[in-house]
Order: sequence, then C-alpha cells, then structure tokens
Amino acid sequence: MDTIQLHNVLPQVFAGRTGLVSDVWLTDVEFRRGTAYLVAAESGRGKSSFCAYVYGYRKDYSGSITFDGQSVASLGINEWAEVRRRRIAYLPQEMRLFPVLTARENVELKNRLTGYHTDAEIRTMFERLGIADKLDSSVAKLSIGQQQRVALIRTLCQPADFYLLDEPVSHLDAANNRTVAEMVMEEARRQGAGVIATSVGNNLDITVGEVLNL
Amino acid sequence: MKNNPLLWKLLRSHISKVQLVGFGIANLLGLFIVLVGLQFYSDIRSFFTEEDGFFNKDYLVVTKSVGNINMVASLVGGADVNAFSDDDIAELKEQPWLKKVGCFTTAGYRVQATVSLAGQGLRSDIFFESVPDEFLDIEGGEWVFDEKKPEIPILVSKDYLSLYNFGFAASRGMPQLSESMIKKVPIILCCIASDGRREYLPARIVGFSGRISSILVPDSFMKWSNERYAAEVERQPSRLVLEVVNPGDPKIETFMKEHHYEVGGDKMNSNKTSYLINVLMVIVVSVGLLISLLSFFILILSIYLLLQKNVDKLRNLLLLGYTPKEVAATYIRMVVGINATVCVVALGLLVYVRMLYLPVLESLSIDCGTILPSLLAAVVVIGAITAGNVVAIRKKVTSLWLLEK
Repeated sequence: MDTIQLHNVLPQVFAGRTGLVSDVWLTDVEFRRGTAYLVAAESGRGKSSFCAYVYGYRKDYSGSITFDGQSVASLGINEWAEVRRRRIAYLPQEMRLFPVLTARENVELKNRLTGYHTDAEIRTMFERLGIADKLDSSVAKLSIGQQQRVALIRTLCQPADFYLLDEPVSHLDAANNRTVAEMVMEEARRQGAGVIATSVGNNLDITVGEVLNL
Repeated sequence: MKNNPLLWKLLRSHISKVQLVGFGIANLLGLFIVLVGLQFYSDIRSFFTEEDGFFNKDYLVVTKSVGNINMVASLVGGADVNAFSDDDIAELKEQPWLKKVGCFTTAGYRVQATVSLAGQGLRSDIFFESVPDEFLDIEGGEWVFDEKKPEIPILVSKDYLSLYNFGFAASRGMPQLSESMIKKVPIILCCIASDGRREYLPARIVGFSGRISSILVPDSFMKWSNERYAAEVERQPSRLVLEVVNPGDPKIETFMKEHHYEVGGDKMNSNKTSYLINVLMVIVVSVGLLISLLSFFILILSIYLLLQKNVDKLRNLLLLGYTPKEVAATYIRMVVGINATVCVVALGLLVYVRMLYLPVLESLSIDCGTILPSLLAAVVVIGAITAGNVVAIRKKVTSLWLLEK
C-alpha cells in the first residue's frame, strides 16, 4: 500500500458545524509511504476518530477513504484483517492491552498472527525500553507509562506500510520518547513505511515531513 | 484452524461452569429421552406391527366358532361341522371386501417330531397345516420341498415358543431358547401312514410367525405327503386365510358375526396397542426434543452473556487483526467439545439402559432392531444443536466488528 487518501471526510458529529478550519476534515489529503506525518490537534478535534476511520473500525463519517485509490468501503472483513496484519500497524491511544495477560503474552498475541519477530528480538525491544524485568508481569500491574511501551512493542510486531500511532508518547518521559522514536523510525526506514503520529502536545521525537492540523 | 492457547487463556474468563454444566445436563437429559424413546420403539415395533415377514398384515385367518353343538356333533363322529363347506367358501368369495381366499390343508396322517435338546430327546405328536404359497412371503428359496432331498421347512407360531419357554422350560428346569437358537436345532419327523408305515424325514424351523397359531409346512410337501401317507382321506378345510381390502372394514366384522366365524389372532387389539404405542412414542420423543431445544437456548443465552462480558477483549482481538472466525473458534471448540461429550454419554447411557430391557424383550420373542437408528438420531440432534450454536457464536462475534456504523 503506497497511499492513504481522505476525500472530504467529516465525522458525523461535526456535520453542520460552521467555521471548521482543518488540514484533514472536508478536504483531500494524501498520506504517502516513506513520509512521516504529525497530525496535531487539541483535544476534541477528532484525532482518535481519524485513526478509527483509517483503521476501519468506525464508519460514522461522510466522504471517502481510499487505499491506493481503492475505496475502503469495498474491503471485506478478511481483507481488513489482512490490512491490520500486514499493512497498517496501529497503536491506539487507549492502548487496548489485555490486563489478564502478561506483557510478553500481550505482545505474543500479535506476533503469533504475523510471525514477524523472534522471541529474542522481542526481548531486545523490552530491554531497549527498560521494561525487560516486566516481561512476565501481568499488564494490570504495570504503570501507565510501562503499558504504553508494551503497546508500542506490540505495534512493532508486524510488517507495515504505515505506522498509525495515536498519541504514542503521551505518558512517556523525554528519554523514553527518544527511544520509542528511534525504534519506530528504524522499522519504518527498514520497510520504507510511512509514519502517521497524532499528538495533543507531547510530540513523538521524530523529524516529520508534514504537519497537519486537525 | 490451529489452537491458540493465548486466546483461550484470554477468553475463558467469565465462562460460567455452572451454566455450562446446566446446559450439558439439560442437553443430555433431552437427548437421552429422545434416544431411549426411539430405540425402545424401534425394538418393540416388530411386535406390534406384526409384519413378521411371513404373513401379510392384511390377511385374516378365519375359523368357525366351536360351540357346544359342534362339539357334540364331532364327538359322535358326524360330519365335520367345524370345516368350511364349498358353499361357505363360495359365499365368502362373493363378498366385496375379499381379495382372495386360501384354504388351510391339514395333514391326514399322524406325525411325531423328535428333537435332541440339551442331551435330552424330546418327542411329541404334532400336526401340520399348509396354506397356498402365495399367502406366505418367505425369502431365499427356504420354503421349498424337494422330494429327492427332503428337508422340510417349518413355520411355527411364536406362541408355541412362548409356551415352551415360559411353561415347559421354566417348570422342568430346561434351558430357555431364543428364536435364532431353535432354528439351528435339527428335527426328525416321523410320518405314520394310515397303514402303519413309518417314514423319517429331517426338518428345520425356518421362522416364527406371530400371526398364525399353527405349524405350517410348504403346500407342495403337504400334497406330496397326503398322497403318500393318507391318500384315501378327504377333508374339508377348517381354517381359511383371507386377503381383504381393509382388515378394519366393519362389514367384515358383521359378516363374521352373522356366520359365527372367528378371526384368528387379536389383530384388532394389536392395532389399537400399536396405535397407542405410536402416540406414546411421539409424546416421549417430543418431550425429549423440547428439552433439547430448551437446553439449546440455555447455551445460546449463556454464550451471549459470555460474549457480552468479554466484548472489549473480543473487539481488541479484532483490532489486532484476528478474524471473527478465529476468535469465534475458541468458543466453538468449547461448544463442540461439550456437545460431543453429551452425545457420547447419552449413547453410553442408552446402551446401558438397552442392556437392562433387552433380555426381557428377548424372552418375549421380540425381534429387536439395531442401535443404528438411535445413533443416527443422536448425530442428527447433536449436529443440529452444534450447528445452531456455531452460527449464533459466529454471528455475535462478527457483529462486534464495527464500533460505530
């Protein structure tokens, strides 16, 4: 997948609202492979909605979204599953980890689907983010910042054309922010993937090619 | 689809063992009732339908009532008033409800039968009758007589076997015999001609009929033997076999009453019993199916509740790239496991219960069916329940695909 395009997309809750100024809503916008984007917005501007529309789990919008020119409306469940396994790696803002499983199991649940990383590689990622000692702790016992790092590792456990990261560093300090940015960019460069990161202020520490204000 | 233990670890929480056990027991009970009803019905059916394979159920065996006057007349050696005259038969043939009539031919000579049983020789005077072959339906060329190589096939009333098993054998400490056993026992017949000549012929029982209280041999043998041993005796038949259009026709009953004829066997009662058994069977199986159906809904409700409690996890799995099919498979495996267990346990219970009642039926000389129909019924019922469960689970999980439509 080389491009993600939004044509005149508007969340239904914004319908009828006047004076909307946005680089994304009600306009044509294209995200290209190999480029890093920052989607900056204040709270309530539809940041998570944007991610949900692109990732295909919400349809409460007008306008259309296309992948390489093909409308996502034509994608069936199995095709979406394939997109989620091979094309778009998504880190939700609310992380969506499973508290009853350990950190390692949460990551494995994704890696099992893709077979993308070896156990050793996963361990290395935990070490780089300073949570190797939490591998076998239940996620429920981790701090929010630790959980965000586990979720990031899980997101990296798949091949991708785009990394869609919804406030990936909102709970991280500057040092961890840098490490996360490094890891994401390493993977993105290796695969020639695009990165779309959203932020309300604490930006992912990467060099962005384009900044879009929601 | 390979098993994913992580999915199971994740999705098994909120599974209510009590609900599943409740479903299992209800389903087991329903299925068990269905199976026992069907199996018992198929086991005893032959007894009530009386399609014993030899004698069509639309045939009636008719005799004249033995009244006091008849008895005295036959004692003083008068005309055989129990026999049907040619006029009687001609009158019968005029009846609109009659399709055809056949005469029982009686042997005009004495016969003794000898069997060797459990080391003891048993000998008894017996009698023979025959009916035209067209009234009998015996397969495989068993019902033939070849005078060059005589082995006489015999068809015996089931009542005689019961008399032996429950009267004779029980009081003398002799072994009780099943039909299949007695068919293997060789019999020697001693035919005593009117001039005192004796001839010994081998014989074999080829079947038991619940409809004719007599001992039947092939018509061809009867003709041959009557000529050979009792050429001079001429007798009118005392029993007739009638093929009628409808055995339940009230005109037949009226005709029989008017002429003081008796219809052999308790066919009417047997028909009523058979009808009641059918009704009973339908009730029992319906109750069983109803319980199965209710248990099916218990499981569906239980699973919907389970899916509802795990809805966030299921959604998150779908967001990770799992397909609804893969996620549903975890629960489907569980349901299939429970249903298969229920099926096996129900069949096991059925076999056990059948072992308890089978000896009783066998001693009543009832030909029992096989367990195959019940096996099939179990597979069909459990298959239908499982298919319903699978569809419901898949549908529910797929419905979680979109957060907002």
